[in-house]
Amino acid sequence: MATDINRLAVDGISKGFPGVKALEDVSFQVRPGEVHGLLGENGAGKSTMLNVLAAVLKPDAGGIRIDGETVRPGSPKDARAAGIAMIHQELQHVPGLSVAQNIFLGRPLKMAGGLLVNRRAQETRARSILADLDPSIDPGRPIHELKVAQQQIVEIARALLDDAKIIAMDEPTSSLTPSEFDNLAALIRKLSAQGVSIIYVSHKMDEVFQVCQRATILRDGRFVATVDLTETSEDEVIASMVGREIQAEQHVSHAEAETVLRVEGLGDGRMIRDASFELHKGEVLGLAGLVGSGRTELMRLIAGIDRATEGSIEIRGSEHSFRSPREAISAGIGLVPEERKKDGIVRDRSVASNIALPCMNRFSSAGLIRRAHLRREATELMQQMNLRPPNVDRAIGQFSGGNQQKAIIGRWLAADVDILLFDEPTRGIDIGAKSEIYDLIERLAAQGKSIIVVSSELPEILRLSDRVMVMREGEIAGVLSGCDVDEGRIAALAIPKSKSRSSQRTAEPA
Amino acid sequence: MTNTSDTKANEAEGRRSFLPAFINLRDAGTLFGLALILIVFAVLNPVFMTAPNVLNILQQSSINACIALGMTFVIISGGIDLSVGPAAAISAVAGAALMTAGVPLPVALLGAMGTGMLCGLFNGCLIAFAGLQPFIVTLGGLSLYRALALIFTGGNPIFGIPTEFRAFINGDLLGVPVPVVIVGLIALLLWIVLNRTPFGEYILAVGGNQEAARIAGVPVARTRITVYVMSGGLAAVAALILMGRLGAADPTMGNLWELDAIAAAAIGGASLMGGKGSVVGTLLGAVILGSLRNGLTLMNVQAFYQLLATGIIIIVAMLIDRATRGRA
Repeated sequence: MATDINRLAVDGISKGFPGVKALEDVSFQVRPGEVHGLLGENGAGKSTMLNVLAAVLKPDAGGIRIDGETVRPGSPKDARAAGIAMIHQELQHVPGLSVAQNIFLGRPLKMAGGLLVNRRAQETRARSILADLDPSIDPGRPIHELKVAQQQIVEIARALLDDAKIIAMDEPTSSLTPSEFDNLAALIRKLSAQGVSIIYVSHKMDEVFQVCQRATILRDGRFVATVDLTETSEDEVIASMVGREIQAEQHVSHAEAETVLRVEGLGDGRMIRDASFELHKGEVLGLAGLVGSGRTELMRLIAGIDRATEGSIEIRGSEHSFRSPREAISAGIGLVPEERKKDGIVRDRSVASNIALPCMNRFSSAGLIRRAHLRREATELMQQMNLRPPNVDRAIGQFSGGNQQKAIIGRWLAADVDILLFDEPTRGIDIGAKSEIYDLIERLAAQGKSIIVVSSELPEILRLSDRVMVMREGEIAGVLSGCDVDEGRIAALAIPKSKSRSSQRTAEPA
Repeated sequence: MTNTSDTKANEAEGRRSFLPAFINLRDAGTLFGLALILIVFAVLNPVFMTAPNVLNILQQSSINACIALGMTFVIISGGIDLSVGPAAAISAVAGAALMTAGVPLPVALLGAMGTGMLCGLFNGCLIAFAGLQPFIVTLGGLSLYRALALIFTGGNPIFGIPTEFRAFINGDLLGVPVPVVIVGLIALLLWIVLNRTPFGEYILAVGGNQEAARIAGVPVARTRITVYVMSGGLAAVAALILMGRLGAADPTMGNLWELDAIAAAAIGGASLMGGKGSVVGTLLGAVILGSLRNGLTLMNVQAFYQLLATGIIIIVAMLIDRATRGRA
């Protein structure tokens, strides 16, 4: 019976990556013309699911059926031909080309025996598709001149050209204004009335409840439930998204009363608005929030990597305005960046050289580097941190991610900074090294360092933090401490809700 | 998989320890290439390996080596300096104008050096502060400095270089030509700078990963500007050597010097992607190019074929480089 009424049936999809089960036996169904939410925390497996549907990834087990028929697309092109279209979060178009050229990219309308592209026919056809979606878009215009919302509509037009039966949208509103969202919602309803099924991935609960009829919730790669949104509350959905067992690691606080860092009204004029908080001596402050909520951006402002346009940073009572990371470092702030390869290591240089970069003068006398002294200190430092293999003369690029991370942390210990900012410190690091990094962070706090840990993994935040600060859409949504710190409260602060969002807007001017 | 890379790295470290401290594995490869070329020419022509001819090769290589050393620093930092030839010309013209105007020789020499460094400062500031690409900035400088040299002189060489300066440059120290001694001393100094000073580490870090270097507190802008100033200054030194030998400052001096310099640096192991390069390697690279030209000239090979040989050597050197690096 089910096969008759379902447009799309996902049957027991599993997909593993080295060391992780991204999806485990996930099944759900989407009806014709249904707008179906796909929900879950970061890392719950939503992206993997979309990539499997679009045939970017091959599932290890399981399959999909469209209108009851099993399809096995071997490539994204096959998936499109089978009727599944993807609208990516990062829109994928060629900037220099026109709207029509982008719509017909890869399958141009031809003339003159297939030798030439029939631009006029393309534009006419594009115009007729767009007339239904947004008549204000001129198919002849270069696509980069359009607003993001309009570019998105062009992608939808592209999907319709393929006669897509299912359109999967990954965070489609991440760069849309509220009124643009209303237009998109209207368009989605129109498409669904025409019988097109939509899979809608979003973190924004209000949108999901406005647009979707049902939603499937994933957690840690597993299917939790498919719920009817008319019969469910936002809180219930959030609860089933996060309801994970809390790891019972005993956390010991080393926080003292002394305020080391005071951030007041900090903003960058783009993403971060009015960030204010305090960090104490020996404290570990967890920074939670969704991907894109501005956590990394805030850390970069404090570390002097990006320039703040407003607000102040006060360290032990003296105010600073950093123009470069170098200035922040001399004020005692070091950042362990999320993207280690891009922002952390100089791959071809030795571990010792990488460690010494911020404090070359400490390892030099009369303008010359004291190599033996540097090697000795670096070796000692890395022995404490259990660098494997314990050779500081080896190029850092030849070490595993966890060992590279140890060296980057060692860099700030050598530079003797007081405030350490960790941005996703265990991303891409295996389990063993992970707990070593945790121990290290705790040891540093015990030594009186003040620490901020940005993490998307709530267990990590809970394990390490004395207090937890939560960011939402570029603002600090709240700070939790003591027994208030739990996954539900963090998630409630992190996830933009219709109620809290509107209440905040009205609260702002006050 | 990690095991095999471990043993390879250990082997590399082991082998390195057999070599003198100032030569790394890559330089040993360049040295081997040079030895091969020397042996071939020595067999083909008995004059090639005589002491006077060897000194001759070194002297002929010294100007390119001087330019190439500056180029090496720029390339390690992740940049390129196409303006070295015209920077040399304008420095020579400035120096000669000061000398012929009766300014004391040391001041005139400093004036020439200052001119070259000013060219580098201009390049460096546009690159570091205006965020322009090194290739384009120094391509602009290439025309700009040449034009200034030509306009200033009306296109004519400046003669009347003081004889004491000419005698100094054409002299020798314990049998070694003065230009070779000068460039040798500069190379020694630069080796120390690259391998033993914080600034050397900064250059390698900026070229290896500029953003990571910045986040680690490296003064990126200052580092990038300084390498172009060094390159301009070394172009001026090369110009002074040539001026002393020719007895004139020609505003058309230094045509295509940038390409020879890049070739020497690349043969010596400098990576145009930045982050890699060696003073010893670049010196060897310059001597390889010099030996090749000298040897082919001795054998009366036409200039056209010399060009052909140079091209082949550069490409072969890069192929070997690529093949051996793939392992590490």
